[in-house]
Amino acid sequence: MIDAVWSPYTADERAPWNLRRVVHLHRRAGFAGTWSEMQRDLKEGPVASVDRLLAGQASLVSPPDFASIADLLADSAVAAGEINRLKAWWFYRMMFGTDALGEKLTLLWHDHFATANSKVANPALMRRQNDTLRKFARGKFGHLLRAGIREPALLLYLDAQANRRSHPNENLAREAMELFTLGVGHYSEADVKEAARALTGWSVEEGQFANVAARRDIGNKCILGQRGELDGTALVIILLEQPATSERLALKLCRLFFGESIVPPAAMHALAAGLREHDLDIAWATELVLKSQLFFSNANLGSRVIGPVEFVVGAVRALEMFDPSPSTLALADWSARIGQDLFNPPNVGGWPFGRAWVHTRSMITRANFITALISGPDVGRASPYDAAFLPHKYGFGTNSDALLTFHHRLLFGTDPSADIRRRTSGMDERRTIGTLLSSPQAQLG
Amino acid sequence: MLTRRRFLQASSLFALAPTVPLFVARTAQAAAADKDRRILVVVELNGGNDALNTVIPYADPTYEKLRPKLKIAKKELLSLSASVGLHPSLKPLDKLWQAGHLAVLPGVGYPNPNRSHFESMAIWQTARLDPEEQNGYGWLGRALDPQAGSAYLLGSAVPTALRGRRSTTVSLNRVEEVLLADPASAKQAIGGESADDLLAFVRRQSVDANAAADKLAHLAGGNDGSRYPATALAERLKLAARLIRSNLGARVFYTVQSGYDTHAVQAFAHGNLLEELAGAIAAFFNDLTQAKLADRVILLTFSEFGRTIKENGSAGTDHGTAGAVFLAGPGVRGGVATTMPSLTELAAGEPKMTADFRGVYTAVLEDWLGLPAKEVLAGTFDHPPLFRA
Repeated sequence: MIDAVWSPYTADERAPWNLRRVVHLHRRAGFAGTWSEMQRDLKEGPVASVDRLLAGQASLVSPPDFASIADLLADSAVAAGEINRLKAWWFYRMMFGTDALGEKLTLLWHDHFATANSKVANPALMRRQNDTLRKFARGKFGHLLRAGIREPALLLYLDAQANRRSHPNENLAREAMELFTLGVGHYSEADVKEAARALTGWSVEEGQFANVAARRDIGNKCILGQRGELDGTALVIILLEQPATSERLALKLCRLFFGESIVPPAAMHALAAGLREHDLDIAWATELVLKSQLFFSNANLGSRVIGPVEFVVGAVRALEMFDPSPSTLALADWSARIGQDLFNPPNVGGWPFGRAWVHTRSMITRANFITALISGPDVGRASPYDAAFLPHKYGFGTNSDALLTFHHRLLFGTDPSADIRRRTSGMDERRTIGTLLSSPQAQLG
Repeated sequence: MLTRRRFLQASSLFALAPTVPLFVARTAQAAAADKDRRILVVVELNGGNDALNTVIPYADPTYEKLRPKLKIAKKELLSLSASVGLHPSLKPLDKLWQAGHLAVLPGVGYPNPNRSHFESMAIWQTARLDPEEQNGYGWLGRALDPQAGSAYLLGSAVPTALRGRRSTTVSLNRVEEVLLADPASAKQAIGGESADDLLAFVRRQSVDANAAADKLAHLAGGNDGSRYPATALAERLKLAARLIRSNLGARVFYTVQSGYDTHAVQAFAHGNLLEELAGAIAAFFNDLTQAKLADRVILLTFSEFGRTIKENGSAGTDHGTAGAVFLAGPGVRGGVATTMPSLTELAAGEPKMTADFRGVYTAVLEDWLGLPAKEVLAGTFDHPPLFRA
């Protein structure tokens, strides 16, 4: 079954391996490819390109001391107690790191196990959670869930410490079932109450997970048909066993890698079934998806709304603004204003996705971000974007037509239409690039 | 170079826009329909507004005895009736009062009043009396949860009142945050129609965004004839009015006016705050009236408690109990809608409440916004008929 709906992609006339698909791959499995990264992938073919992304080795611009710089940035953000600097750290990782796919998956799990510093008020714990999410991002979902649900930041966010035998607090139990695993409709209110009883005792002490015996409700419970003196550990096992969890996991992965209405229900169920057979292995599912014909189908190209973080990082990477790079603090702030404030999802349900990203306020701010990125100072870059630099570097001409063509291919993998040529003729070069980046088309990837 | 100052001036936290609930698809058409519905603006008076000098039982001889220094003389205050008057600094509200568009509610509180700023504000914001029940979600956040609606905060720190499980808050400080830096480019970026459904949707949103930004730019240019006092609160309500006029679709706006914790030498500070409050509210409704939108908007003020009825030795007052609530707007039934608490029959030296704040919330949620209140407030509460229709 799984082989039928998730047959592997092979290039042919209808779905050639071309720049369009390379751009697509980098937008979905990363943030955006640089021109040289994409030319390499164009030459080496889909399997090698996907393998490189899976292995976290696709970047050609990662500095040799990336890991130590990244650690330094995070350590100093935490030492200073400044969450904005922690956001800047994560932007640094996304721009300069080797493993863009890992960062995208980490972002997915950050959304999935949504936790907001506005309540937790502890950058050290937010960093700890981020490290955990990254560590288990590609592993088996069971490991991710076990670790994620014990993260102090999450427990504080969901009032775990207030949940006690004498006075249960259902917050953690409810969100564990509704959001982290089963989804609405696959459990009853009674299950939530019993799950809350199972989770009593879970708390945070001195920034660490603690299981406080005095608060625990150790009596008999019945959760989703299972009986016993169930505790938090037993609850997690029960939740992992439910088919609904694999379905929800498949849904989340499909939202990350596909546009709306691309994956037919049968394929989603097949993916869920495959996940169940593979012990909910995220890496297995990711590889299956990224190498599939469905992923590279025409319908899936340009079918997904690019979220704010992806939009900001994608623009910076594609335009190779590495040296000097924009201020990562400024980028984090822009992303927040467009609608995605890292470490501060709007509520426990996480951020929106798809069309819900696109509305008046976010469109205005996306356009303003591009204006700022191209001109410089409002993203913390001294000089404006030199629209001739990359075309020249990569052997295109530097007349306005060449600039337009190069950037259109870089951003979309296709040549500019006559309409775009007409609309941008006579425009100064920087504004032309700005026009491309703020177009409706550039919001999809 | 991006200076720290310039960066800080331009920065703000922009939380979000409407989210899609996990189990209900929300189409662009549904989002558009929201825009025509009613709007609530909340002004939180932070610090504990001295209710007794705001809504004054001037005919009660006890009043003057309690407030030898701070009393407002009868000839100074704005008389609402034979027994109740308003602090003279609230004079700008007179037009709303005369039109029957101002409801004055003294004595609003809750049982077993708590005189801690933090705890009493938590009670008002979560609508839960028991701290164990206060799980970080607020009455407005919960009310907006079923449709995953969004509220606009004119300020930075999202108050508990707006926090929900699925609802979101957009924080705005300055109108520049919703203006286009380069409108000409933005327009050129849009391009022609598309057959692709998603691309066409994004294109439509871009067109709408440009139009809204245009409109806001026009309003920001001050060409709209609206006049606001030069105060911080008036600036925020002006921004709210502009957002409402630009049809951005939020149903709830919230802002905070701080400074009401007047423990010493109260008279001047309190008068200033009330003047800022009244001036801002009056200008706000003038603005909306000109835009023919006033009948869709009401404004609610509340504070975490009133203050001690007996003035202290520093010409100020300390933390008290029940306080005064105001509701303004053409949709409001004007009048003194609750009973003035007695100044002689007291509980622990302070007045007993005459109305539960959760009744006021019930009226606002159900009668004005058309949102169910029972789960939000964890109970049903009597509510006076505060609205016209």
